[in-house]
Amino acid sequence: MNAVSLLVRKDLRVLRRSPLLLAALLAYPVVIALLVGLVAGYASSKPRVAWVDEDNVPPVVQVAGHRFHVQTIVDQVSRNVTLVRMSADEAARELASGEVVATITVPPGFVGTLETAARSPSLVLRTGSGALASRVTQQVQALVYRLNSELQGVFIKANLVFVQLLRHGGQGSFLGRRFTVLGLDGTQKVLASMPPGERVRAIAAFVRDAQLGLAQTGAALKATAHPIELKQPKQQGRTWVLSAQVQSYGIALTVTFLALLLAAGAAAAERDEGTIGRLRRGLVSLGQLVWSKVALAAVVGVALGAAIAIVFGVVVELGGVSGGEPWARIPLLLVGVALAAAVVGAAGALLGALARESRTASLLAVLVVLPVVFLGLIPREALAFAFWVSELLPFSHAVRWFSAALYDPSPWRVLGEQTLWLVGIGAVLWGLARRSMRRLEA
Amino acid sequence: MTQPLLRAAGIARRYGDVEALAPTDFALEPGETVALVGPNGAGKSTLLAMLAGALEPTQGIVEASVPVGWVPQRPALYSRLSARENLELFARLEGVSDARGAATRLLERFSLPPEERPSGELSVGNRQRLNVALSLLAEPRVLLLDEPTASLDPGQRRRVWEIVNALRDDGGAVCFATQNLEEVEHAERVLVLEHGRIVPATMEEVFE
Repeated sequence: MNAVSLLVRKDLRVLRRSPLLLAALLAYPVVIALLVGLVAGYASSKPRVAWVDEDNVPPVVQVAGHRFHVQTIVDQVSRNVTLVRMSADEAARELASGEVVATITVPPGFVGTLETAARSPSLVLRTGSGALASRVTQQVQALVYRLNSELQGVFIKANLVFVQLLRHGGQGSFLGRRFTVLGLDGTQKVLASMPPGERVRAIAAFVRDAQLGLAQTGAALKATAHPIELKQPKQQGRTWVLSAQVQSYGIALTVTFLALLLAAGAAAAERDEGTIGRLRRGLVSLGQLVWSKVALAAVVGVALGAAIAIVFGVVVELGGVSGGEPWARIPLLLVGVALAAAVVGAAGALLGALARESRTASLLAVLVVLPVVFLGLIPREALAFAFWVSELLPFSHAVRWFSAALYDPSPWRVLGEQTLWLVGIGAVLWGLARRSMRRLEA
Repeated sequence: MTQPLLRAAGIARRYGDVEALAPTDFALEPGETVALVGPNGAGKSTLLAMLAGALEPTQGIVEASVPVGWVPQRPALYSRLSARENLELFARLEGVSDARGAATRLLERFSLPPEERPSGELSVGNRQRLNVALSLLAEPRVLLLDEPTASLDPGQRRRVWEIVNALRDDGGAVCFATQNLEEVEHAERVLVLEHGRIVPATMEEVFE
């Protein structure tokens, strides 16, 4: 049995005999993952928006013969934001103090202008300068888009009534005035009763063309109003807690945390126990010592990764959620977990060697792991610099590896790229760790 | 002239700007026992650790023609493993063919507790005995001991000196560091270390 495997077995035995440490190592990342989840949940919570009604909008508004229930519209908006009715002064004060992230004002005369169907009334949106401002703007734009969409339907319907009058004739009204229209059908009948002649034939030809053209008016108006329609068929997907991304982040966070702390503590413990000198007497090389900590991190990481993947799999099965292969990809996932944990283990060995003392090493590992993880959570669009820094660290590559391994139908390209990244980062960390191990001798 | 069992040529150790041991030559002949004496921080432990291969010299070389055993000043063992597990682990790392048998023999020889109690929970004396036992796993012909009897009772001290004397009588060699002047009588040769250098002073002068 070679020296590396003897040291790994020794470290595993030591770990098994430290149940409190083991429990803390397992519980801590889970707690962190939950906290991250809560923060993410808070980020997606509804922002508070002031609703200032300066027009005393009635509960029901009638536009072009169609009844709009104002409360229904408010309820629709409330799916994304919490609308709070208040006066203009209150709204301005709360916007300034940040208690609301935006104000939507219905100006005087809004409903009257809307009911004429001749001009476009305006809603006034004011936003603060906080991070949520752009999100609220998008949500209000979406609301106005939906209202416009409904109003367009109503207006098209009203306009088509006039087109039908033009085609078939009959009684109509506009702005309260009633009138009678002969229509193209009536014109055709009048022309048929007239003596034939060149002029009558020309008018009859125009009437036929006009009838054909007007028959297409309804479809043309609808197409003009909605050049592109967005359809969202209902689908049974995973809930967010079971999404591929959350699962990948959960495993990556736990494995990163555990592997870093474990390897850092185990490396520094060789000096604490005074055994580094005994090992260095030709029994174990510095490289083997680093490998032993890397292997320890990989072994424990795989065990933990498998446990988490099984828990997710069971939850997916029990929940009857479609959209993933909870079991078939576990072996592939564990290959990635072993690789990622080994790379993080090399980083841990480096920290342990630098700290030279296990308590300092553990503290250092905790201090290092949190920024590493949070950097990996920052999207490229949010902060490009943070994204590029995280590219040089193993966490974000581990997340991509796990995500592709679990849910990508053809994962090999992504896995190849991320493997190269992880191996490259791991090689650098291994080299630094091996070089730093000398510090443990002194 | 006999060939030395262990030889060091110009070995030195620096920690940054601090010179822990100035360039030093040293040799251990068969059947010889050497005592290293000197005040705290004189460089005794550094010299022994470098002779044992546990610490890399900043310069110079160490050559050994036979297996070397090393007893560090502070017990170097895994405190969460039992005495038997420590002995078996280091026996396997040393390449001892019957690791379990070697561990059993040393447990008996040093009257160490055979049960699975973590060695961190052993008494200071038992830990020191385990420390000495670990150095004997590879059946060394040269033994380097750093204040080996510091925390042992008189009976256990006697046992350590029996081992030292037996090894010397068998043609091996021993070098030990001590601050106990009475223990120097076990040595044929005494080296006095002060400020990282071997000095031509008497022990009394150094300790004064």
